[in-house]
Amino acid sequence: MITDLVGIAVTTIILGSIYGLVAIGMTLIYGTLRILDMSQGSMVMVGSFIGWGILVVAGWNPVLAILAAFAATFLLGALTQLVSVQPLMKRRNAIDFEMVTFITTFAVAMVLTNVALEVFGPFQRNVTPVIGGGITVYHGVDLPYQSLAMALVSVAMMAGLGIFLARTRWGMAIRAVAQDLDAARLMGVPVGKLYPLTMGLASALAGVAGVFLGGLYFAYPGAGDLPLLEALIVVIFGGLGSLPGTVYAAYAIGLIQAVAEVTVGTTWSLPILYGVILLVLIVRPYGLLGKPSEARL
Amino acid sequence: MTPREPQSPPPPALAASAFPGMTTGRWGLASLAVVLAAVLPLVVSSQYVLGVMITTLILLVLNISWNFVLGVAGVWNFGQLAIYALGGYGAGIIMLHSPVSPWLALLAGGLVAAVAAVLLSFPTLRLYGIYTSLLTFAFAEVIQYVILNDGSGLTGGSFGLPIVRGLYSSLGLNASARAYFWTALAVAVIATVLLAAVGHARLGIALRAIRDAPAYAAARGVSPLRYRIIAFAISGFLAGIAGGLYVSYDQSISPSVMGLTPMSVYVTMLVIGGLGTSTGPIIGTILVQIVATALVTHPGAEFTILGLFLLVVVVFVPDGLAGLVGRHWRRISAWAAEDEDDELAEGSPDPHVA
Repeated sequence: MITDLVGIAVTTIILGSIYGLVAIGMTLIYGTLRILDMSQGSMVMVGSFIGWGILVVAGWNPVLAILAAFAATFLLGALTQLVSVQPLMKRRNAIDFEMVTFITTFAVAMVLTNVALEVFGPFQRNVTPVIGGGITVYHGVDLPYQSLAMALVSVAMMAGLGIFLARTRWGMAIRAVAQDLDAARLMGVPVGKLYPLTMGLASALAGVAGVFLGGLYFAYPGAGDLPLLEALIVVIFGGLGSLPGTVYAAYAIGLIQAVAEVTVGTTWSLPILYGVILLVLIVRPYGLLGKPSEARL
Repeated sequence: MTPREPQSPPPPALAASAFPGMTTGRWGLASLAVVLAAVLPLVVSSQYVLGVMITTLILLVLNISWNFVLGVAGVWNFGQLAIYALGGYGAGIIMLHSPVSPWLALLAGGLVAAVAAVLLSFPTLRLYGIYTSLLTFAFAEVIQYVILNDGSGLTGGSFGLPIVRGLYSSLGLNASARAYFWTALAVAVIATVLLAAVGHARLGIALRAIRDAPAYAAARGVSPLRYRIIAFAISGFLAGIAGGLYVSYDQSISPSVMGLTPMSVYVTMLVIGGLGTSTGPIIGTILVQIVATALVTHPGAEFTILGLFLLVVVVFVPDGLAGLVGRHWRRISAWAAEDEDDELAEGSPDPHVA
């Protein structure tokens, strides 16, 4: 009984942290650009391949892998914005803007996934854990250092993002754009540079998550599909565009999944999650902290 | 994607014709296309090509039904494949276990799907945009999981239904393939004409109004509840019929007909063709199917090319290929009309050609 409870608590913290890392990027993008970025899953996949390349193929330092994944997915995310979203920004106020960008970022995800499939093949590749070993928290509940590091890095990056948004010049510019685009423009915020920066930053968070997730699961072209779905569930559950809502929702979803895994097994955890999200959306159509038709960071 | 400028015709034109924009010439052209398509199975000798064409037609019916909810009604319904699968399973299970005519089973599959779609329409009424997409997608995922993990043996789990005796199982291989082709073609034609008629009538105008200006439409007394339920019912029924045709032709159905991968292909078809138009699904489905068939030996390249294609179309041709063709067509006919406006004066069949 106590073993189960400790197990649930540990799993909740690990899953919640990693969901938070992927989902917070989507929230940042939605809050700033009003688009749901479907290419975030591919960034996780790219991150896990970079982790595989540096840790396994080259055998270099894990810190280098994280930094490389951050840099590469930052550039890729900024590029994705320039290719798939920037040309559409002039239709920003059209009623179908959200759907159009949903489809273009989805197209980018399709291309990235299938380019990876062409280059690396469909094989699942083991990625060396960033840190090996682990500790036993309680009888029968093991906590690998990899998971611990993942949770710590996730929390640190979420906190770092919070400080970045609250204290720095660029962070405040992002929040200004999220709150009122026209006013931000009038105050001289360079919106044209800000949009790629935001999407690059969000993608970089997903890329770092990918390095860790590659160690937990594998690096393969479909590695981003499940994180994308889970991040979608988290951002919708928390209310689109709300950063605190996303963090709460990440741990809430982690808890639901942990309970489901302990009580009924792994196979049913995802359908149970979908069942919960169905109920939540019927009862609270804008998620936990979302506001109808407007979003604030 | 869809042109948002006011496009509904003025009331007199609506009263005059159920299909505004369809001149006698265009009806002739459309009929010619259908006749040419109907002759195809007599000309094509390869069973493989005929099979691809039958699958394309079944997908076309599915896409036409999806386009009505996604494009015309503007509801982000990403659960259509589950409705399609439910129709297929419904029809297939009746075909397997009951002695009734497979045609009745096909109809029953359509009704099962329509009921499921109506049930799905209720929660979507409270949601908007992306939230709808996640709810409907979650619905589809739950359906897929339930079927995958079904231990009762009714659906066969991940293996799917065992061999189903379909509509034409008493015919030989060649004859049954042709019969399926003509049946699917007939259903696709009926679906296109029906939804085009409905789309230009009161229902379609109401749905577009709810899509483009929900508050204004509701203020004018257009009930979102009533019209969305009708739209989901019609769309669900057609998707279910498509599912029934699939299970009958394929002699089986498995949960792999659902999921993200097939859905991304069908969304590509709809968007490339032009969401919310009558001809869009036809153009998109046939074009993408040709590309996919040509690239069948390079499965990775197929999706890369489709993804790039999708990106280019959405960025440069927002209203899809149907819109592109429509604009050029209008320009050509306007140019032609200048020359022969004397002849056209008495009929003036198309008020939009200006």
